[in-house]
Amino acid sequence: MEAGSALDPAPLRGFKDFYQYASTTRVIAGRDLLSSTGFEFQKEGARRVFLVTDEVIRATGLVERVEAGVTDGGLEVAGVFDQVPQDSSTHVCDECAAAAKEAGADSFLAVGGGSVMDTAKVADVVFTHGGAAREQEGFYLLPRDDDGMGRPREIAPLACIPTTAGTGSEVSMAAVIKDPDERVKLEIADFPLFPRLAILDPETTRTLPAKVAAATGMDAMTHAIEGYVSVDWSAHQDARSLHALRMIRDNLERAVQRGEEDEEARGNMLIAANLAMTIALGSVHAMSHPAGAQFGVPHGVANAIHLPHVIRHNAAGSDDIADRYRDIGEIFDVSDPEIGDALATHVTELVDRLGLPTRLSQVGVPEDGIPALVEGAMGDGTTLLNPREMDEEDYAELYRAAL
Amino acid sequence: MAYFKDADEVYAYIGKLFEQLAEDDELAPKFRKANTIVQYQYREPESQITVKLIEGEDGQVDCGETTMEPEVVMTMDADTAHRFWLGKVNVTVALARGQMKAKGPVAKILKLVPLTKPVFPRYRALLEQDEREDLLKAA
Repeated sequence: MEAGSALDPAPLRGFKDFYQYASTTRVIAGRDLLSSTGFEFQKEGARRVFLVTDEVIRATGLVERVEAGVTDGGLEVAGVFDQVPQDSSTHVCDECAAAAKEAGADSFLAVGGGSVMDTAKVADVVFTHGGAAREQEGFYLLPRDDDGMGRPREIAPLACIPTTAGTGSEVSMAAVIKDPDERVKLEIADFPLFPRLAILDPETTRTLPAKVAAATGMDAMTHAIEGYVSVDWSAHQDARSLHALRMIRDNLERAVQRGEEDEEARGNMLIAANLAMTIALGSVHAMSHPAGAQFGVPHGVANAIHLPHVIRHNAAGSDDIADRYRDIGEIFDVSDPEIGDALATHVTELVDRLGLPTRLSQVGVPEDGIPALVEGAMGDGTTLLNPREMDEEDYAELYRAAL
Repeated sequence: MAYFKDADEVYAYIGKLFEQLAEDDELAPKFRKANTIVQYQYREPESQITVKLIEGEDGQVDCGETTMEPEVVMTMDADTAHRFWLGKVNVTVALARGQMKAKGPVAKILKLVPLTKPVFPRYRALLEQDEREDLLKAA
């Protein structure tokens, strides 16, 4: 290994050579906000709104209430697209964009979880710039002024109303969509994908099943922890991650166990998920993406299973990494010289109390699936952002431990 | 002023490095696990290198024109490529700043980044062999 190369592990403290932070979404949070959806979205330039959702959400009656909120604000509902599947695809995005064009819409409003919001983002790009969803893949590649080096061109106004507290897509500039032809997940990230407006109202998670609340909550917790220990850490994200963890500590179990009757906990979890959102992640996500793609393990469940193993592995990597986990441990009142073990145990106990699986074998992952999972994890972009350098044997060991 | 005076110089060093890697018994099979064709499009000087990394097939490196159809296209200044091979560029930062642009299934290329570490000394050796102190110092 060459000394001093840019591929060496980055320091996890001090003043960094470079980092970039952006969070351009206007967030409104509180009670009874759905009725003012149109009033708020009008401020972002929307006139004829195209709603994107899924059939499950629509069946709850939530979409009708949002539609009423849109029209009460003087806007028109140009159309409703409720065909977003749980794991959305490029074809769905193309259909959604075409439907919005056909309806004469000028803006998008996503009401749903991560799949719905990511579909709306990609459909908006196709709607605005043309082409097909498949062609949008890449980082920072959306059309820009000045020969592609200047300011990115805006897409049609987009607002998001999340109906789970975990993904954070309502405040992120990224979207992940399946390409069913190539059987891969496409990642699209650029500044215009930041929604202009996010509405956080606990009414949207009132009927969320406990298992889904638990899994999505663990997704938020994983974002906060991975964001804090990532080599791509920043002081800005540190502040968000640590406060998100305090809110998760105080609200996640309440929101799962008391659900409908604890509006405060549900509202605070929406905010925590929002604060926790970052695209600077690490090996938990690198392991969970292929587990989802190859064995259909729900993302939050996969994160909940992998998180303790990655904490234990990373914390043993260096004192700097362990110190970062110590900061997190303080929030959960976990202090121990062996912080990796202690924090991992704390997380496992939490996952167990939330009623989620703690082992891959409980969610249908066979031992002979590990080599393909390892290959997927090594090929995931988040591996590069993990604080401890990972190789194939490391991942194989972690998957075996999680089995 | 750009480090390389023309496309031929880019091919003489960065192109040659790719050719050496394609013939390396230990590293080539690891890079070919990416199962893709990557095209590096450089600015200043305008130049292009296309690399076939397909498992079970021989490697192929085309400097300049090519008949290969790239799946991933990486665009950057030739200076950035030079600094990368000297081990001076953090890819995730370069992507975030727009110094490198990646079109296509980027994950396939990011997967290769950790494999490039042992290649840095080889690139340096290529420059040293030709006594290109100017390029070694430039970065």
